[in-house]
Amino acid sequence: MGGKVTCTLGEVKQRADFIVYWGGNPAECHPRHFTKYTIMQKSKFLPRGRKDRTMVLVDIRETKSAKAADIFLQVKPGKDFELITILRAMIKDQHVTDEQIAVTGLSREVLDDLVGRMKGAKFGCMFFGMGLSMTRGKHMNSAALLTLAAEMNAFTKFVAMPMRGHGNVTGADVIMRWQTGFPFGITFNRGYPRYNPGEFSTVDVLVRGDCDAAFIIGADPGATMPQPAIEHLKRIPTIVLDPHVTHTSRLSRVHITTAPQGIAAPGTAYRMDEIPLPLKPPLKSPYPTDEQVVRRINEAIAAKPFWMPEGSQPQMLTAQV
Amino acid sequence: MSIALHLKRQPTVPLEAETISPDRLADLSNSEIRSLTVYHGKRQLPLGEFFDVEGERSDELHLHGELHKVRWIGRAMSRGSIVVHGSAGMHLGAYMRGGRIEVHGNAGDWLGAEMKNGFIHVHGNAGGQIGAAYRGSLSGMKNGMILVDGSAGLEVGMRMRRGMIILGGPARDFTGLQMKGGTIILLSGAEIRTGAWMNRGVIISLKPLRMMPTFARASDAIPTFVHLYARHLKQYGVTLPCSPAEGAYRVYSGDLSIPGKGEILVWQPADVDMPLHTQVVSCKGVRQ
Repeated sequence: MGGKVTCTLGEVKQRADFIVYWGGNPAECHPRHFTKYTIMQKSKFLPRGRKDRTMVLVDIRETKSAKAADIFLQVKPGKDFELITILRAMIKDQHVTDEQIAVTGLSREVLDDLVGRMKGAKFGCMFFGMGLSMTRGKHMNSAALLTLAAEMNAFTKFVAMPMRGHGNVTGADVIMRWQTGFPFGITFNRGYPRYNPGEFSTVDVLVRGDCDAAFIIGADPGATMPQPAIEHLKRIPTIVLDPHVTHTSRLSRVHITTAPQGIAAPGTAYRMDEIPLPLKPPLKSPYPTDEQVVRRINEAIAAKPFWMPEGSQPQMLTAQV
Repeated sequence: MSIALHLKRQPTVPLEAETISPDRLADLSNSEIRSLTVYHGKRQLPLGEFFDVEGERSDELHLHGELHKVRWIGRAMSRGSIVVHGSAGMHLGAYMRGGRIEVHGNAGDWLGAEMKNGFIHVHGNAGGQIGAAYRGSLSGMKNGMILVDGSAGLEVGMRMRRGMIILGGPARDFTGLQMKGGTIILLSGAEIRTGAWMNRGVIISLKPLRMMPTFARASDAIPTFVHLYARHLKQYGVTLPCSPAEGAYRVYSGDLSIPGKGEILVWQPADVDMPLHTQVVSCKGVRQ
């Protein structure tokens, strides 16, 4: 089993001499990532900066990031999981045949070289993007890379980190995690949090039509989710909080315009390595912040009678086996 | 005497009805059964709101209706039987310890998840994570048998430890993911990444599989235990070919990335051009 093997970007900047980008295009999607944290910075431990670091890019096509990379590995589409599993076998000196390696579109020499460099590194760091986590296999692709990073710690220090995008998604995960113990896909219907992605994650709930209301904050599922999910959002009362009118606003019953975070609303954003950063708004907005709106909705709900019957306790599902 | 429950109102959101289990209903009168609590979303309602109940004090349950929104039926049951005439929702027979479940229709995800014993037969299709371990849990089903006539979804038998899953139709990706033991029999094959990260256990497929590149081909043989399985499975109407005249099983072992000792057996029908004795290498020494 994997687990999260991670560190802050400060550590990457100071120490990481071996950096892998897997299924992402940081040159275009995270343009400051190279210069601020990963390959360009000089530090006490890597005084020559870029010259002391090795960068590997794994992707299905040669993107602009390939120019920045020392080694570019072009993996066949949909073979990331296979490639990572082969690497897991190779770091343990298991015999994998040339034909089996050829399935991934790479050769034995390339992988032997990669494994040698990985084991020889002082501090390795793997960043993975949507090319890995959103293709066939989904969470298992990410799990594979996290497990590889965990297992590499038998030889040297290794970490893995997702390349998050879209505003404060890391913040949502972090807050849910310290409040409930789980990052997403949580239900509270029994009065306590239960976690089961696939059953309680938003897209699955909407596709199956399992919810009878939706409250959407800081997201635009109307633009990104599959058609059955959008159809269900149209059917049920959907409430959207957003600074501007989105695709989801158009199919919702209520749209509440809020002040944009970081521009006109203060708050805390989490960087992709889960470091909280305060947002200091330079402008003022006539609209309320998301927080103010949610607080007022909460107050209105609190004025209603409690949803559990008088004196009853929710029955814990887990306590009954 | 048995208890019959007819769904009279389709729930609008998932109905969590773990009380529909022979253990719970066996000693209750009709009115007590109707007043049992079910969770319609977050609201606690009596079972009688959704079901017409006939009969009382029995561990034989007959469920009628499209119950695809009703979850956790037969949770942790240890005796008796449940027959669903229609479809069933997620977590059917999860944590089951004994008894029988039969579904004349389709079943949802997490069918028989983490079951310890018992028998489940789904005549239609089932969802993903059959007999699997729940997220964060180390092992899935520990014993018992799940028989699905139709197709199945992702991650069938994920982290299962013992027991048997038989799928009549095709399965999707990651069948037998991180398997730790037990047997999965695929009568119509599976999509990709079958047996990924498996540690121990056996997957038998009667159709060609797209193998993970981290499996090593061992031999072509008909292992002795297949004969035993074939004989045992006859009573369920499942035919496992095990005569050398018909062909042989191509044995793969893996997953090398663990490194695991799992086995995948893929049936190879006899090639008429080749003499049989060159194909069947050995019947002994494959499983030691």
